[in-house]
Amino acid sequence: MTISAKKIRALPEGVSRTLIQIGMILLVFGLWELGVRIGWISAFLFGSPLGIAHYLAKAIYDGTLLYDTWITVFEATLGFVIGTLAGSILGLSLWYSPFIARTVEPIVVAFNSVPKIAFAPIIILWFGTGLTSKVALAISLTSIVALIAAYQAAKDADPDLQGLMVTLGANKHHIFYSVIVPSSLPAMVATFRINVGFGLVGAVVGEFISSQHGLGHLIFTASSLYDLNTVWAGLFTLMAVGFVLYFFIDWFERNLLPWKTNEHRQELRV
Amino acid sequence: MQIAYSNKTLITFKTNVFKPKSQPRMVSSATKLSLTGLQKSFNVKGTVLPVLNGIDISVASGGFLSVIGPSGCGKTTVFNIIAGLLEPDEGTIEVDGLPVANLRGRVGYMMQKDLLFPWRTVLQNVLLGLELKQVPENEARELALEYLNTYGLAGFENAYPKTLSGGMRQRVALIRTLISDPDILLLDEPFSALDYQTRLYLEGVLMEAVETHKKTVILVTHDIDEAVALSRNVIVLSGRPTQVKANYTIDIQERTPIGARSDPRFSEYFHALCAELDIQTRKKAT
Repeated sequence: MTISAKKIRALPEGVSRTLIQIGMILLVFGLWELGVRIGWISAFLFGSPLGIAHYLAKAIYDGTLLYDTWITVFEATLGFVIGTLAGSILGLSLWYSPFIARTVEPIVVAFNSVPKIAFAPIIILWFGTGLTSKVALAISLTSIVALIAAYQAAKDADPDLQGLMVTLGANKHHIFYSVIVPSSLPAMVATFRINVGFGLVGAVVGEFISSQHGLGHLIFTASSLYDLNTVWAGLFTLMAVGFVLYFFIDWFERNLLPWKTNEHRQELRV
Repeated sequence: MQIAYSNKTLITFKTNVFKPKSQPRMVSSATKLSLTGLQKSFNVKGTVLPVLNGIDISVASGGFLSVIGPSGCGKTTVFNIIAGLLEPDEGTIEVDGLPVANLRGRVGYMMQKDLLFPWRTVLQNVLLGLELKQVPENEARELALEYLNTYGLAGFENAYPKTLSGGMRQRVALIRTLISDPDILLLDEPFSALDYQTRLYLEGVLMEAVETHKKTVILVTHDIDEAVALSRNVIVLSGRPTQVKANYTIDIQERTPIGARSDPRFSEYFHALCAELDIQTRKKAT
């Protein structure tokens, strides 16, 4: 053990980190599979890694998993994009009228304090059991977060920069486009990360309640049949989807906000 | 109040020492900007708080006026009125002898904060004022590059402000102020966040720019050293409600920041102005 630990330390940091991460995953799955084989873990209640792998291989091969994944990703992304855009634009435009903003604020807060998932049954009633209801649920989850973040960011925009614009002869629209929007972008993009997750929550919960396709549907139906391997396969696929979406947002942020990237970040070693 | 009055006699005595009876020999041209009888009060939690209580400020064309005063005396209010960000309750503003409602678009200002837009590159920051004036893009760009070159920032056009040093950022801010060609430069301790060397250097750059572009400058500051070194006139404000307490003419011919500081009269002015502000602190303490 000590020898291998030393060897790992000698490798470049990135490589050794990846090795440790892979090792941890393999260890967990190995112990799990071992536990199932020995009989300490019930394969009926917990599934088994090999069973999961078997199901994954089959479902990828016959295309059902990809189809379900595509449905869920589509619902989540569409909901995320529409909700985030609409919320952000509304939130920013509240900056134009402090009167309207103050009037609407308690309503927004009240709406935000309800767990949006609780709207799911009504949304299914209104929008049916197809794609629309899942997208609508994802929108209801993401838009409010985006709205609050954008409004707060717009309010926090540096008043001195706005003053400078005024003395240079700018009107309200100039200030909006040249100061409010760019200075709010970082805070808004930061909520993208949260909202990508909320988009998935909306899609999956919608599918739980009523659906014919999607990863939520897959997980829900499989669990009611005690088919734990399929449940796990669905969960791991969701995890992979979230992972990919998160990195996409990360890439998007770096390209949208080049002035924010920190090239010479110094690590504080304590 | 009694103390304040007795102090006033002291001040008149002191100001007489340094205030020449006649106008100074140098630039005695027309008045560029005059603010007369400025009054401003703010509503703070229902009570009216008078801040400016009849202030007269006038600065000659091509002149350099500093406004100093104890902290909390309403310097920022004066700054905001001159910048065109606040309207006075009472008082008239005249530019070149003609009354105007406010000074928006005529004044370029610089603060201790460089106020560069972090999401804009150096070049884009410099272009801000020209964009708002809708100067054709090519023309604006060419002019901006010329300025950047003159002020030693060639090669940094595409850098973001946060990658520059404080001194460089203030130079960019100075270019941005100069390039939109306002008649009046309004400065609020523009260099006080910088180290002394950079500050002397930038004061020199500023003075040179002011001479070349024939700008009228108002410096709002609590930095007596800088006020004496750079200005031709210094106005001392009293504590709130603020009035003009004294008006000094700085009769130092040397105009470079270091040269002015080595002038034998520099310390006389410096001490006299310190005394003006010290009186304020003592008044506050009792």
